[in-house]
Amino acid sequence: MSEGRPDREDDRIRAAEYALGLLDEAEARAFEARLRDDPDLRAEYAAWAEHFAGLADGADVPPPAHVWQELESGLFGSTQAGPGRSRWRYWRGWGLGAALAAMLAVLLLYLGPFGTPTVPQADLVAYIEAESGDLRVLAGYDEATGQLEVSRVGGAPEPGRSFELWLIAGDAAPVSLGVLPERERGVLSVPDALGPQMAGATLAISDEPAGGSPTGQPTGAVLAAGQVITGS
Amino acid sequence: MLARTAMGDRAAFAGLYRATSAKLFGVALRILNDRAEAEEVLQEVFVRIWHKADRYRANGLSPMTWLITVTRNLSIDRLRRLRATGVTRAGNPDEATAHMADPAPGPEAQVVAADERARIDACLDELEAARAGAVRGAYIEGLSYAELAARHEVPLNTMRTWLRRSLLKLRECLSR
Repeated sequence: MSEGRPDREDDRIRAAEYALGLLDEAEARAFEARLRDDPDLRAEYAAWAEHFAGLADGADVPPPAHVWQELESGLFGSTQAGPGRSRWRYWRGWGLGAALAAMLAVLLLYLGPFGTPTVPQADLVAYIEAESGDLRVLAGYDEATGQLEVSRVGGAPEPGRSFELWLIAGDAAPVSLGVLPERERGVLSVPDALGPQMAGATLAISDEPAGGSPTGQPTGAVLAAGQVITGS
Repeated sequence: MLARTAMGDRAAFAGLYRATSAKLFGVALRILNDRAEAEEVLQEVFVRIWHKADRYRANGLSPMTWLITVTRNLSIDRLRRLRATGVTRAGNPDEATAHMADPAPGPEAQVVAADERARIDACLDELEAARAGAVRGAYIEGLSYAELAARHEVPLNTMRTWLRRSLLKLRECLSR
Protein backbone atom coordinates (compact mmCIF):
# COMPACT_ATOMS: atom_id res chain seq x y z
CA MET A 1 0.00 0.00 0.00
CA SER A 2 1.20 3.50 -0.74
CA GLU A 3 0.38 5.09 2.58
CA GLY A 4 1.35 8.60 3.43
CA ARG A 5 1.18 10.06 -0.09
CA PRO A 6 -1.05 13.04 0.46
CA ASP A 7 -2.35 13.30 -3.11
CA ARG A 8 -3.25 9.65 -3.02
CA GLU A 9 -5.03 10.05 0.30
CA ASP A 10 -6.89 13.05 -1.05
CA ASP A 11 -8.09 10.99 -3.99
CA ARG A 12 -9.21 8.21 -1.71
CA ILE A 13 -11.26 10.60 0.37
CA ARG A 14 -12.67 12.36 -2.67
CA ALA A 15 -13.72 9.06 -4.22
CA ALA A 16 -15.40 8.00 -0.98
CA GLU A 17 -17.15 11.35 -0.59
CA TYR A 18 -18.38 11.10 -4.16
CA ALA A 19 -19.67 7.57 -3.55
CA LEU A 20 -21.44 8.75 -0.39
CA GLY A 21 -22.98 11.72 -2.18
CA LEU A 22 -21.22 14.24 0.05
CA LEU A 23 -19.75 16.42 -2.69
CA ASP A 24 -21.67 19.49 -3.80
CA GLU A 25 -22.80 19.81 -7.40
CA ALA A 26 -19.66 21.57 -8.68
CA GLU A 27 -17.28 19.26 -6.83
CA ALA A 28 -19.14 16.22 -8.10
CA ARG A 29 -18.95 17.40 -11.73
CA ALA A 30 -15.21 18.11 -11.34
CA PHE A 31 -14.68 14.65 -9.87
CA GLU A 32 -16.62 13.02 -12.73
CA ALA A 33 -14.47 14.86 -15.26
CA ARG A 34 -11.34 13.47 -13.60
CA LEU A 35 -12.87 9.97 -13.46
CA ARG A 36 -13.05 9.83 -17.24
CA ASP A 37 -9.31 10.25 -17.70
CA ASP A 38 -7.88 8.62 -14.60
CA PRO A 39 -8.07 4.82 -14.41
CA ASP A 40 -6.58 4.75 -10.89
CA LEU A 41 -9.26 7.10 -9.67
CA ARG A 42 -11.90 4.99 -11.40
CA ALA A 43 -10.60 1.90 -9.62
CA GLU A 44 -10.62 3.77 -6.31
CA TYR A 45 -14.19 4.92 -6.84
CA ALA A 46 -15.29 1.45 -7.95
CA ALA A 47 -13.81 -0.08 -4.80
CA TRP A 48 -15.72 2.35 -2.59
CA ALA A 49 -18.95 1.91 -4.53
CA GLU A 50 -18.59 -1.84 -4.17
CA HIS A 51 -18.06 -1.61 -0.41
CA PHE A 52 -20.82 0.90 0.24
CA ALA A 53 -23.26 -1.11 -1.88
CA GLY A 54 -22.99 -3.70 0.89
CA LEU A 55 -24.57 -1.17 3.26
CA ALA A 56 -27.73 -0.79 1.20
CA ASP A 57 -28.04 -4.46 0.67
CA GLY A 58 -30.49 -6.20 2.94
CA ALA A 59 -33.00 -8.94 2.42
CA ASP A 60 -34.31 -9.36 -1.11
CA VAL A 61 -37.97 -8.46 -1.40
CA PRO A 62 -39.88 -9.50 -4.52
CA PRO A 63 -41.82 -6.48 -5.79
CA PRO A 64 -45.55 -6.87 -6.49
CA ALA A 65 -46.50 -7.91 -10.04
CA HIS A 66 -48.06 -4.57 -10.96
CA VAL A 67 -44.63 -2.90 -10.84
CA TRP A 68 -43.48 -4.92 -13.84
CA GLN A 69 -46.81 -4.64 -15.64
CA GLU A 70 -46.79 -0.86 -15.41
CA LEU A 71 -43.16 -0.71 -16.42
CA GLU A 72 -43.78 -2.87 -19.46
CA SER A 73 -46.80 -0.95 -20.64
CA GLY A 74 -45.04 2.35 -19.92
CA LEU A 75 -41.97 1.46 -21.94
CA PHE A 76 -43.40 -0.72 -24.67
CA GLY A 77 -47.01 0.33 -25.00
CA SER A 78 -49.18 -2.73 -25.32
CA THR A 79 -47.95 -6.03 -23.99
CA GLN A 80 -48.87 -8.35 -26.82
CA ALA A 81 -47.00 -11.62 -27.01
CA GLY A 82 -44.19 -11.96 -29.48
CA PRO A 83 -44.14 -14.46 -32.33
CA GLY A 84 -43.85 -18.05 -31.17
CA ARG A 85 -41.22 -19.91 -33.07
CA SER A 86 -38.85 -17.69 -34.91
CA ARG A 87 -36.62 -17.92 -37.91
CA TRP A 88 -32.89 -17.41 -38.02
CA ARG A 89 -33.34 -13.97 -39.44
CA TYR A 90 -34.99 -12.83 -36.30
CA TRP A 91 -32.02 -13.62 -34.15
CA ARG A 92 -29.59 -11.81 -36.37
CA GLY A 93 -31.46 -8.64 -35.57
CA TRP A 94 -30.19 -8.84 -32.00
CA GLY A 95 -28.09 -5.75 -31.48
CA LEU A 96 -29.67 -2.81 -29.76
CA GLY A 97 -30.10 -4.90 -26.65
CA ALA A 98 -26.46 -5.93 -26.49
CA ALA A 99 -25.75 -3.76 -23.47
CA LEU A 100 -28.70 -5.17 -21.58
CA ALA A 101 -27.89 -8.71 -22.60
CA ALA A 102 -24.28 -8.14 -21.64
CA MET A 103 -25.19 -6.90 -18.23
CA LEU A 104 -27.52 -9.79 -17.70
CA ALA A 105 -25.02 -12.39 -18.88
CA VAL A 106 -22.25 -11.02 -16.72
CA LEU A 107 -24.53 -10.78 -13.71
CA LEU A 108 -25.83 -14.28 -14.04
CA LEU A 109 -22.44 -15.75 -14.76
CA TYR A 110 -20.71 -14.09 -11.87
CA LEU A 111 -23.45 -14.25 -9.32
CA GLY A 112 -24.19 -17.75 -10.47
CA PRO A 113 -27.66 -19.17 -10.87
CA PHE A 114 -26.90 -21.80 -8.27
CA GLY A 115 -25.36 -19.43 -5.77
CA THR A 116 -21.86 -20.14 -6.96
CA PRO A 117 -20.12 -18.65 -9.96
CA THR A 118 -20.70 -20.98 -12.88
CA VAL A 119 -17.97 -19.63 -15.09
CA PRO A 120 -15.49 -17.77 -12.95
CA GLN A 121 -13.11 -16.61 -15.66
CA ALA A 122 -14.52 -16.26 -19.12
CA ASP A 123 -13.27 -13.98 -21.86
CA LEU A 124 -16.58 -14.05 -23.65
CA VAL A 125 -20.02 -14.78 -22.32
CA ALA A 126 -23.50 -15.28 -23.70
CA TYR A 127 -26.93 -15.57 -22.20
CA ILE A 128 -29.01 -17.69 -24.52
CA GLU A 129 -32.67 -17.32 -23.70
CA ALA A 130 -35.94 -18.28 -25.30
CA GLU A 131 -38.38 -15.43 -25.69
CA SER A 132 -40.73 -17.28 -23.40
CA GLY A 133 -37.98 -17.70 -20.82
CA ASP A 134 -38.57 -21.47 -20.89
CA LEU A 135 -35.05 -22.27 -22.02
CA ARG A 136 -32.08 -20.43 -20.57
CA VAL A 137 -28.44 -21.29 -21.07
CA LEU A 138 -25.34 -19.45 -19.90
CA ALA A 139 -22.15 -19.86 -21.87
CA GLY A 140 -18.63 -18.74 -21.03
CA TYR A 141 -15.80 -19.02 -23.53
CA ASP A 142 -12.11 -19.23 -22.65
CA GLU A 143 -10.10 -17.96 -25.61
CA ALA A 144 -6.85 -19.58 -24.52
CA THR A 145 -8.19 -23.11 -24.23
CA GLY A 146 -11.08 -22.90 -26.72
CA GLN A 147 -13.39 -24.34 -24.07
CA LEU A 148 -16.99 -23.25 -23.95
CA GLU A 149 -18.63 -23.89 -20.60
CA VAL A 150 -22.36 -24.21 -20.86
CA SER A 151 -24.82 -24.16 -18.03
CA ARG A 152 -28.47 -24.85 -18.66
CA VAL A 153 -30.37 -22.95 -15.99
CA GLY A 154 -33.85 -23.52 -17.33
CA GLY A 155 -35.58 -25.91 -19.72
CA ALA A 156 -34.85 -29.45 -20.87
CA PRO A 157 -35.20 -31.26 -24.20
CA GLU A 158 -38.26 -33.39 -24.91
CA PRO A 159 -37.68 -37.13 -24.47
CA GLY A 160 -35.81 -38.49 -27.47
CA ARG A 161 -34.69 -35.02 -28.58
CA SER A 162 -31.48 -33.05 -28.14
CA PHE A 163 -30.57 -29.38 -27.88
CA GLU A 164 -27.93 -28.39 -30.40
CA LEU A 165 -25.84 -25.26 -30.09
CA TRP A 166 -25.06 -23.16 -33.17
CA LEU A 167 -22.64 -20.37 -33.88
CA ILE A 168 -23.93 -17.70 -36.24
CA ALA A 169 -21.28 -15.18 -37.26
CA GLY A 170 -22.66 -12.29 -39.29
CA ASP A 171 -24.61 -13.55 -42.27
CA ALA A 172 -22.83 -16.90 -42.40
CA ALA A 173 -24.84 -20.10 -42.12
CA PRO A 174 -25.07 -21.59 -38.63
CA VAL A 175 -22.14 -23.80 -37.65
CA SER A 176 -22.74 -26.53 -35.09
CA LEU A 177 -20.81 -26.30 -31.82
CA GLY A 178 -22.21 -29.62 -30.73
CA VAL A 179 -25.09 -31.07 -28.80
CA LEU A 180 -25.66 -29.68 -25.31
CA PRO A 181 -24.80 -32.23 -22.66
CA GLU A 182 -27.70 -34.00 -20.98
CA ARG A 183 -26.45 -32.83 -17.62
CA GLU A 184 -27.15 -29.23 -16.78
CA ARG A 185 -23.55 -28.21 -17.01
CA GLY A 186 -20.78 -29.24 -19.35
CA VAL A 187 -17.97 -28.15 -21.60
CA LEU A 188 -17.87 -28.01 -25.40
CA SER A 189 -14.66 -27.62 -27.36
CA VAL A 190 -14.79 -24.91 -29.99
CA PRO A 191 -12.67 -25.78 -33.05
CA ASP A 192 -9.65 -23.45 -33.43
CA ALA A 193 -10.93 -22.15 -36.74
CA LEU A 194 -14.14 -20.92 -35.12
CA GLY A 195 -12.52 -19.24 -32.10
CA PRO A 196 -11.93 -15.88 -33.78
CA GLN A 197 -15.56 -15.77 -34.91
CA MET A 198 -16.96 -16.04 -31.39
CA ALA A 199 -16.84 -12.39 -30.31
CA GLY A 200 -20.00 -10.60 -31.36
CA ALA A 201 -21.53 -13.71 -32.87
CA THR A 202 -24.91 -15.13 -31.96
CA LEU A 203 -25.28 -18.47 -30.22
CA ALA A 204 -28.55 -20.24 -30.87
CA ILE A 205 -30.13 -23.45 -29.73
CA SER A 206 -32.32 -25.66 -31.91
CA ASP A 207 -34.48 -28.66 -31.19
CA GLU A 208 -32.98 -31.72 -32.94
CA PRO A 209 -33.31 -35.50 -33.03
CA ALA A 210 -31.34 -37.27 -30.28
CA GLY A 211 -27.64 -36.87 -30.95
CA GLY A 212 -28.00 -33.78 -33.10
CA SER A 213 -28.94 -32.67 -36.57
CA PRO A 214 -28.34 -35.35 -39.20
CA THR A 215 -27.74 -32.76 -41.93
CA GLY A 216 -25.18 -30.42 -40.39
CA GLN A 217 -27.73 -27.64 -40.48
CA PRO A 218 -30.52 -27.01 -38.00
CA THR A 219 -33.57 -29.09 -38.82
CA GLY A 220 -35.86 -28.28 -35.89
CA ALA A 221 -37.21 -25.11 -34.38
CA VAL A 222 -34.86 -22.42 -33.15
CA LEU A 223 -35.69 -22.20 -29.50
CA ALA A 224 -33.34 -19.62 -28.05
CA ALA A 225 -30.54 -17.25 -28.94
CA GLY A 226 -28.18 -14.75 -27.39
CA GLN A 227 -25.25 -12.60 -28.35
CA VAL A 228 -21.65 -13.33 -27.41
CA ILE A 229 -20.20 -10.38 -25.56
CA THR A 230 -17.05 -9.59 -23.62
CA GLY A 231 -16.98 -10.88 -20.06
CA SER A 232 -15.83 -8.40 -17.46
CA MET B 1 -36.15 -5.21 -38.50
CA LEU B 2 -36.26 -2.57 -35.84
CA ALA B 3 -39.26 -4.20 -34.22
CA ARG B 4 -37.49 -7.53 -34.19
CA THR B 5 -34.45 -6.01 -32.61
CA ALA B 6 -36.58 -4.39 -29.98
CA MET B 7 -38.03 -7.81 -29.23
CA GLY B 8 -34.57 -9.09 -28.35
CA ASP B 9 -34.05 -6.10 -26.09
CA ARG B 10 -37.24 -6.84 -24.30
CA ALA B 11 -36.28 -10.44 -23.62
CA ALA B 12 -32.99 -9.31 -22.08
CA PHE B 13 -34.75 -6.56 -20.16
CA ALA B 14 -37.32 -8.95 -18.73
CA GLY B 15 -34.53 -11.36 -17.83
CA LEU B 16 -32.65 -8.61 -16.04
CA TYR B 17 -35.79 -7.64 -14.14
CA ARG B 18 -36.37 -11.24 -13.07
CA ALA B 19 -32.78 -11.59 -11.92
CA THR B 20 -32.39 -8.33 -10.00
CA SER B 21 -35.72 -6.71 -9.08
CA ALA B 22 -36.06 -8.40 -5.67
CA LYS B 23 -32.62 -7.26 -4.62
CA LEU B 24 -33.11 -3.71 -5.88
CA PHE B 25 -36.58 -3.45 -4.36
CA GLY B 26 -35.00 -4.49 -1.06
CA VAL B 27 -32.45 -1.69 -1.39
CA ALA B 28 -35.09 0.94 -2.18
CA LEU B 29 -37.26 -0.27 0.68
CA ARG B 30 -34.39 -0.17 3.11
CA ILE B 31 -33.68 3.46 2.25
CA LEU B 32 -37.24 4.73 1.82
CA ASN B 33 -39.04 2.54 4.33
CA ASP B 34 -42.22 2.90 2.29
CA ARG B 35 -43.52 0.37 -0.18
CA ALA B 36 -45.33 2.75 -2.52
CA GLU B 37 -42.30 5.05 -2.79
CA ALA B 38 -39.95 2.09 -3.23
CA GLU B 39 -42.15 0.70 -6.03
CA GLU B 40 -41.93 3.99 -7.88
CA VAL B 41 -38.18 4.13 -7.45
CA LEU B 42 -37.87 0.58 -8.77
CA GLN B 43 -39.75 1.59 -11.91
CA GLU B 44 -37.55 4.65 -12.26
CA VAL B 45 -34.46 2.46 -11.95
CA PHE B 46 -35.58 0.12 -14.71
CA VAL B 47 -36.60 2.94 -17.01
CA ARG B 48 -33.11 4.32 -16.55
CA ILE B 49 -31.54 0.91 -17.21
CA TRP B 50 -33.59 0.60 -20.38
CA HIS B 51 -32.23 3.89 -21.66
CA LYS B 52 -28.70 3.79 -20.29
CA ALA B 53 -27.66 0.16 -19.92
CA ASP B 54 -24.48 0.84 -21.82
CA ARG B 55 -23.29 3.23 -19.14
CA TYR B 56 -22.52 0.62 -16.55
CA ARG B 57 -18.99 0.04 -17.66
CA ALA B 58 -18.15 3.71 -17.77
CA ASN B 59 -17.21 4.01 -14.10
CA GLY B 60 -15.56 0.65 -13.76
CA LEU B 61 -18.41 -0.71 -11.64
CA SER B 62 -19.58 -4.29 -11.86
CA PRO B 63 -23.16 -4.57 -13.18
CA MET B 64 -24.63 -5.43 -9.78
CA THR B 65 -22.84 -2.58 -8.05
CA TRP B 66 -23.97 -0.21 -10.78
CA LEU B 67 -27.57 -1.36 -10.35
CA ILE B 68 -27.44 -1.01 -6.57
CA THR B 69 -25.77 2.40 -6.90
CA VAL B 70 -28.41 3.67 -9.33
CA THR B 71 -31.15 2.37 -7.01
CA ARG B 72 -29.52 3.92 -3.96
CA ASN B 73 -29.07 7.28 -5.66
CA LEU B 74 -32.63 7.47 -6.98
CA SER B 75 -33.94 6.40 -3.57
CA ILE B 76 -31.89 9.11 -1.86
CA ASP B 77 -33.12 11.74 -4.34
CA ARG B 78 -36.66 10.79 -3.47
CA LEU B 79 -35.94 10.68 0.25
CA ARG B 80 -34.51 14.19 0.09
CA ARG B 81 -37.58 15.43 -1.76
CA LEU B 82 -39.84 13.83 0.83
CA ARG B 83 -37.78 15.34 3.60
CA ALA B 84 -38.01 18.77 1.99
CA THR B 85 -41.80 18.52 1.89
CA GLY B 86 -41.87 17.61 5.54
CA VAL B 87 -42.67 13.94 5.18
CA THR B 88 -39.90 12.28 7.14
CA ARG B 89 -39.75 8.57 7.11
CA ALA B 90 -36.07 7.83 7.39
CA GLY B 91 -34.86 6.30 10.56
CA ASN B 92 -35.41 2.69 11.15
CA PRO B 93 -34.27 0.89 8.05
CA ASP B 94 -34.87 -2.53 9.55
CA GLU B 95 -38.53 -1.86 10.12
CA ALA B 96 -39.18 -1.75 6.41
CA THR B 97 -38.20 -5.33 5.86
CA ALA B 98 -39.04 -6.70 9.29
CA HIS B 99 -42.73 -7.12 8.58
CA MET B 100 -42.32 -8.60 5.11
CA ALA B 101 -43.70 -12.10 5.34
CA ASP B 102 -41.12 -13.88 3.24
CA PRO B 103 -38.26 -11.92 1.84
CA ALA B 104 -37.34 -14.98 -0.24
CA PRO B 105 -33.82 -13.98 -1.16
CA GLY B 106 -32.91 -15.58 -4.47
CA PRO B 107 -29.92 -17.81 -3.94
CA GLU B 108 -28.17 -16.14 -6.85
CA ALA B 109 -28.33 -12.71 -5.35
CA GLN B 110 -27.36 -13.59 -1.81
CA VAL B 111 -23.85 -14.87 -1.89
CA VAL B 112 -21.87 -11.97 -3.26
CA ALA B 113 -23.79 -9.36 -1.38
CA ALA B 114 -23.59 -11.08 1.99
CA ASP B 115 -19.85 -11.22 1.66
CA GLU B 116 -19.48 -7.52 0.89
CA ARG B 117 -21.92 -6.59 3.61
CA ALA B 118 -20.02 -8.57 6.21
CA ARG B 119 -16.77 -6.86 5.26
CA ILE B 120 -18.01 -3.29 5.40
CA ASP B 121 -19.90 -4.01 8.63
CA ALA B 122 -16.82 -5.50 10.26
CA CYS B 123 -14.69 -2.52 9.24
CA LEU B 124 -17.29 0.01 10.40
CA ASP B 125 -17.30 -1.79 13.74
CA GLU B 126 -13.66 -0.86 14.12
CA LEU B 127 -14.60 2.82 14.07
CA GLU B 128 -16.18 4.68 16.95
CA ALA B 129 -19.92 4.10 16.89
CA ALA B 130 -20.77 7.74 16.14
CA ARG B 131 -18.37 7.86 13.22
CA ALA B 132 -19.64 4.63 11.76
CA GLY B 133 -23.11 6.08 12.20
CA ALA B 134 -22.11 9.13 10.19
CA VAL B 135 -20.88 7.00 7.28
CA ARG B 136 -24.13 5.05 7.30
CA GLY B 137 -26.12 8.26 7.64
CA ALA B 138 -24.51 9.63 4.51
CA TYR B 139 -25.03 6.51 2.42
CA ILE B 140 -28.36 5.16 3.66
CA GLU B 141 -30.08 8.41 4.61
CA GLY B 142 -28.36 10.71 2.13
CA LEU B 143 -27.35 13.20 4.81
CA SER B 144 -25.08 16.08 3.81
CA TYR B 145 -22.09 17.27 5.83
CA ALA B 146 -24.25 20.05 7.26
CA GLU B 147 -26.98 17.62 8.29
CA LEU B 148 -24.46 15.23 9.78
CA ALA B 149 -22.88 18.10 11.74
CA ALA B 150 -26.29 19.08 13.08
CA ARG B 151 -27.15 15.54 14.04
CA HIS B 152 -23.89 14.97 15.85
CA GLU B 153 -23.85 18.50 17.28
CA VAL B 154 -20.39 19.44 16.06
CA PRO B 155 -19.23 22.33 13.86
CA LEU B 156 -19.27 21.68 10.11
CA ASN B 157 -15.51 21.66 9.72
CA THR B 158 -15.10 19.29 12.62
CA MET B 159 -17.58 16.98 10.94
CA ARG B 160 -15.60 17.05 7.71
CA THR B 161 -12.29 16.31 9.43
CA TRP B 162 -13.92 13.58 11.47
CA LEU B 163 -15.52 11.83 8.57
CA ARG B 164 -12.50 12.08 6.29
CA ARG B 165 -10.27 10.57 8.92
CA SER B 166 -12.80 7.80 9.44
CA LEU B 167 -12.89 7.12 5.69
CA LEU B 168 -9.13 6.65 5.58
CA LYS B 169 -9.29 4.24 8.49
CA LEU B 170 -12.15 2.43 6.85
CA ARG B 171 -10.24 2.14 3.58
CA GLU B 172 -7.23 0.78 5.38
CA CYS B 173 -9.35 -1.90 7.04
CA LEU B 174 -11.15 -2.78 3.80
CA SER B 175 -7.92 -3.31 1.90
CA ARG B 176 -6.47 -5.59 4.54
